[in-house]
Amino acid sequence: MTSETSRLPVTAQVTSPRKPRRAGRLGSGLGTALLWVGTALFVLPFLFTVVTSLRTAADVARAPLGVPHSFTLKNFSDAFHQIHYGPSTLNTLLITGLSCVCITVLGSLAGYPLARITAGWSTAVYRLFILGTSIPVFVVVAPLYLLMRDMNLLDTYAGVVFIYTAINLPLAVFFYTSFIRSIPVDLEEAAALDGCGAFRTFFVVVLPLLRPVTSTLLTFVALQVWNDLLVPLVFLQDPGKRTVMVNAYSFIDPHTVQPTTLFPAALLGVLPLLVIFVFFQRQVVAGMSAGAVK
Amino acid sequence: MFHRRRATMAAFLLPAIAVYSVFMLYPLVRGLYLSFTDSLGGPVAHFVGLQQYRAMADDPAVSAALWHTVLYAVVVVVVQNGLGLLFASMLFRRPRVRQALNVVLLTPTLISPVMAAFIWSYLLAPGGGLNGLLDAVGLGSLRHVWLGDPHTALYAVAAVNVWMFTGYSCAIFLASYMSMPTELLEAAALDGARGWRRFRSIEWPLLAPALTVNVTLSLIGSLKVFEFPLVLTNGGPAGATDTLTLLVYRNIFGGGKFALGIALSVLLLVTVVVLSSATNSLLRLRERRI
Repeated sequence: MTSETSRLPVTAQVTSPRKPRRAGRLGSGLGTALLWVGTALFVLPFLFTVVTSLRTAADVARAPLGVPHSFTLKNFSDAFHQIHYGPSTLNTLLITGLSCVCITVLGSLAGYPLARITAGWSTAVYRLFILGTSIPVFVVVAPLYLLMRDMNLLDTYAGVVFIYTAINLPLAVFFYTSFIRSIPVDLEEAAALDGCGAFRTFFVVVLPLLRPVTSTLLTFVALQVWNDLLVPLVFLQDPGKRTVMVNAYSFIDPHTVQPTTLFPAALLGVLPLLVIFVFFQRQVVAGMSAGAVK
Repeated sequence: MFHRRRATMAAFLLPAIAVYSVFMLYPLVRGLYLSFTDSLGGPVAHFVGLQQYRAMADDPAVSAALWHTVLYAVVVVVVQNGLGLLFASMLFRRPRVRQALNVVLLTPTLISPVMAAFIWSYLLAPGGGLNGLLDAVGLGSLRHVWLGDPHTALYAVAAVNVWMFTGYSCAIFLASYMSMPTELLEAAALDGARGWRRFRSIEWPLLAPALTVNVTLSLIGSLKVFEFPLVLTNGGPAGATDTLTLLVYRNIFGGGKFALGIALSVLLLVTVVVLSSATNSLLRLRERRI
């Protein structure tokens, strides 16, 4: 399940120098048309959501698929209040941020010895971590609930961050170990000869080199944690600590609510991610392709 | 000096091992144990052997959920990767639009499953967007209660899943296309290999590793599906979209059948591990033969 990731295509950015032969112009034109229609079908629901969320309820009721007559931002402010967007966004940001920090720190620290120490036990520990990539969170959710209850971690941010760290550590360990293995060991040996201890070698020599793999890992982890419903739904029941997804899920029944309430709520929920995507498009594409070992 | 160095390095592992053991491995082992008890979530739990598993085997709702889960996964894996491959092969031949359309197709992937389910619960509603669109283009006879009819509900939920992740499959196939050796493609072009022939004998074998990755990922992802059926149908109508994850969730957190829920989660684990490793080994074997 894991070794295929070593040849996992990480980015789709490469450009090929090859020019396709212009044989069968008609067939090619038909293909291009098909391609555009197909892509449109995938984007249409999204565009429709954006447009509808900006229309007044009366306008939508008159002609759901028609040309909009009036635009308003009122739907957004309504949805904003209905899902307690402000506080729940802060909660989600806090949880996502803390989880990202913990996963990066623990993962990179663990990846270093696992990549550099070649002994039977380190291979065994590595395998144990990799095992975690194929365990669905559903399998541990009930015993985790008991554990959290016994440790008084229910309804705490710390509890949720611990869970996300444990869930994502296998992936982080896999990322960092394979990345550090690909770095030549010479630099570290030179540092050791100059009298650097393991600590200084790691923080001064190795850590700065880990930036690319960290950004890939973090985009993937941030997407996962931000979008997750199950963990906060089960482990954070205090209304003041709920995340965006939980609030949206609990306050909005998609089968009874008007699209003018439903769509702005859906868009607000994904807004931070779309902003991230615009700015870090390359890393996100890479992170999603590489990170999905899970 | 180097011995001490190694000892310090090994100590770097401790925080990760501690968190992973306490919050992942221990719950896993405890869950396996609890599935052989009559635990209700409280401190009391008696060992009852295979009782929960027998109860599971006797319950037609469980076999139905297992069947829905597998059927759902098969539909998603086939359709999502088929479409992804189609898009990738068309994009590869059109360098000018390649990057832009790839990004556009990836946008749905970023939406959280809950939000995607929100959008589609309106689009698939009886008076919603899809039926309205069918009316508008004169195909009103195809109007349907997509999520309300037990015969179409599971496929409608699967369609939302496919909508969300096709761009993802496409990106992986496309990356594989881009890494194909140019000499090989040029040689094939010189030999006059075109269209289907070129795809079948040159590109398809070269795409084998990407296919393995795509099938494995989408299989695992769709077997664990939770948010889509939860928000879109909550298992209905008449249990037609009940998946293993929904049964686990309902039994553990609402049904008072805690231990049964845990046994169901073990069934989910076994299903995921068996199906994904079997598929993975088969596809790898196929890669080696090509």
